[in-house]
Amino acid sequence: MQLATAAMLLVATTVAACGGGEDDGGKASAPKAPATIPELTKDPLTLSFIWFDWPPAHALEDFANAEYKKERPNATIKVNTVPNANWHDAMFTQFAARKTDFDIAILDSQHIGEAVTNGNILDLTDFVKNNIDVNAYNPYLLAAYGQFPQAETGKRDENASLYGLPLLGDTWTMIYRKDLIGDKPPQTWDQMISAAEKCQADNPGVSGLAFHQANGSDAAAVTYNTVNGVYGGNLWDAKTRKIDGVLNDAAGQEAMDVLVNKMKPLTAKGSGNWFIDEVNAAVAQGKACIAFNWIAASGGLLDPKQSTLGTSREQILDKLGFATLPSQKTNLVPLGGMGMHVSAYSPTANQAEALNFMKWFQRADVQKKWAAAGGVPSRTDALQSPEFINAGPFNQVYADSVPRMRDMWNVPEYARLVDIENTNVNAALNGAKDPKTALNDIAKEQQGVLDSSGRKGGGGL
Amino acid sequence: MSDPVPLTTDQPGQVASATPPAPGRSRRLSDRGLAVAFISPALLLLLAMSVFPLLWALYLSFTDYSATRGGPAHFVGFGNYTAILTSAQVHQRALTTLIYVVGAVGLQTVLGFGIAYLISRRTHGRGALTTLFLVPMMLSPVVVGLFWRFMLDAQFGVVNSMLGSLGLGQVEWLTRQRTALVSLIVVDTWQWTPFIMLIALAGLTAVPKYLYEAASIDRASEWFKFRTITLPLVWPLLLIAVLFRAIEAFRLFDLVYILTSGGPGVSTETLSFHVYKVAFLGFNTGTASAYGILMVLVVIVLTQLYLRYLNKLKED
Repeated sequence: MQLATAAMLLVATTVAACGGGEDDGGKASAPKAPATIPELTKDPLTLSFIWFDWPPAHALEDFANAEYKKERPNATIKVNTVPNANWHDAMFTQFAARKTDFDIAILDSQHIGEAVTNGNILDLTDFVKNNIDVNAYNPYLLAAYGQFPQAETGKRDENASLYGLPLLGDTWTMIYRKDLIGDKPPQTWDQMISAAEKCQADNPGVSGLAFHQANGSDAAAVTYNTVNGVYGGNLWDAKTRKIDGVLNDAAGQEAMDVLVNKMKPLTAKGSGNWFIDEVNAAVAQGKACIAFNWIAASGGLLDPKQSTLGTSREQILDKLGFATLPSQKTNLVPLGGMGMHVSAYSPTANQAEALNFMKWFQRADVQKKWAAAGGVPSRTDALQSPEFINAGPFNQVYADSVPRMRDMWNVPEYARLVDIENTNVNAALNGAKDPKTALNDIAKEQQGVLDSSGRKGGGGL
Repeated sequence: MSDPVPLTTDQPGQVASATPPAPGRSRRLSDRGLAVAFISPALLLLLAMSVFPLLWALYLSFTDYSATRGGPAHFVGFGNYTAILTSAQVHQRALTTLIYVVGAVGLQTVLGFGIAYLISRRTHGRGALTTLFLVPMMLSPVVVGLFWRFMLDAQFGVVNSMLGSLGLGQVEWLTRQRTALVSLIVVDTWQWTPFIMLIALAGLTAVPKYLYEAASIDRASEWFKFRTITLPLVWPLLLIAVLFRAIEAFRLFDLVYILTSGGPGVSTETLSFHVYKVAFLGFNTGTASAYGILMVLVVIVLTQLYLRYLNKLKED
């Protein structure tokens, strides 16, 4: 594995160094997509995506092959999947080699900055103007999944460039045991902690809470960001690019204290490396009173084959409730989900097909069908449609959460910023670091990354 | 009238030089040609896949190059090396790696030699036992990592289940600072003890039997035989096995990646795992190259010192 890593690094550097382009100095330099869709090929063509391995990826492949083929019989959709922890590397090592085996990269909103400044994805601004009704979307969602740089308000700036279109919206839902804590979900974060505490005390063997704490990906970081938002904290001051002094202010400290000293003791022993699957497993096995998870990953909870809570969907739903996150000082919820972005290194015919697919996928009728197939749409009409609301018990939660969403820093340095936050929050949650020290370390190290971006040599440690 | 051509000569060399060589007569040249023909593809491959990237990485280590950003690389002198050598983060990872290498290789050596010694004393079933012990070594480290991740899971793992049935409490194997590194050492030991065992077994079976017979005639104790015959003869071979394992352990990446992701926090983050983060999370290719070069240098220097010790041992 070490050899493989070294080989990947060396090959990537060699190829990239030999084929380097202009020094952009970190400015946006993405090549432009044509404003109108070029003539499509009639030859058989495979349109490849890259995503991480989770149920929506398989749902997308099935849905697209069933529906898109009706219009383009010569096109086959293939969604290549990698483990979540490898997702960023799988895309960006190929970008570094200036050659991709995918045509459409499904990027997290925070990845857009890195891809745009390196010229890895197409600038879709002109294409969107000519082909997409931007007013059909919630402006925050359209901006989050496509715009760079993101506006300070989070809302779409009509003059800013767009590099992607929404594929799957997402946020956290609170999953609660109706049979253990009652039908009415807690309304505030404090109430939620109290309810979890009581439930844990009343039900030996069942932990009060289950949430993401893992060291990999953005697991622990999103958890802290969520609590930070609920307790009125900020991740940074985007205008001055200040993190130190903002993230670790009084609100930030309170959020870390709540997370580590009030919430963590209510979790199962050894849950310090839990992410999406482990939280779902705990809920399905009846081991948690209240849990938090991404909506798009919650479908499996209703599968009787995977659950000990009932032998039918109805029986499971008698015990499980889904609600929007409780509020406290604010009502913010984390923005998840991803957009579709066209690889700058994809062949011209595939780029044309990708643009055609994106235009097709954003149609109102297709978005409703996608919602019915298990997708989470971003068009307002699809979000409010019965097809979506009735497709899952958590879909109403998503529709209600959209106006409450907050994203992380969408900057090219995201990968390093999130790693710093993730490792430190994970350390605090697992007793490897004092919570206050962990928060101060995050602020200091992240500030260092922002301040040193563009500095020559010795960076990145 | 011309001179008659001699039928024989006292100077065959002169004749040979005077007449053109028959096809296939210059055997040496032909062999060399063949050798070049056979070796050159492998040599070219080695140059392309190993030597050139190494030299290229050496060049990049003096620059601020980023693989994803593209653009020209700017020369930064020893900036990357200075930053790495003075970084508290790197020092912490180095200490973690050192604890891991010493712990894992030490444990594997003791266990591997112990098992080999016990097996070597058996006359029946030695082959079957050896094969059985070698199984973990045949598995991919990723598979081993995933397998042990399930086994060591605090809630659902079989290890805690067994501890529970013995009336012992749950242990957070992978999520506590102290136990996480111990878990990595245990898993690595499970997989690689057979390697030491195999080498030690080869050494043990090569010890001449007459030495033991002579010692027996002199009524030497088992401990005396072990201390004065077995150990001195197997020791050099064992040290070579330790060298291989130490180099491998120094580069540990896969088990960390699968089992702990370097956590909790960064407490199990080894040097290799840290290089991976520098290389792929921020794509600071120049810094990562310098980091890699420094790691190679450390291995080379330590190996040289070790080999000198081995040679001295051999001379003694």
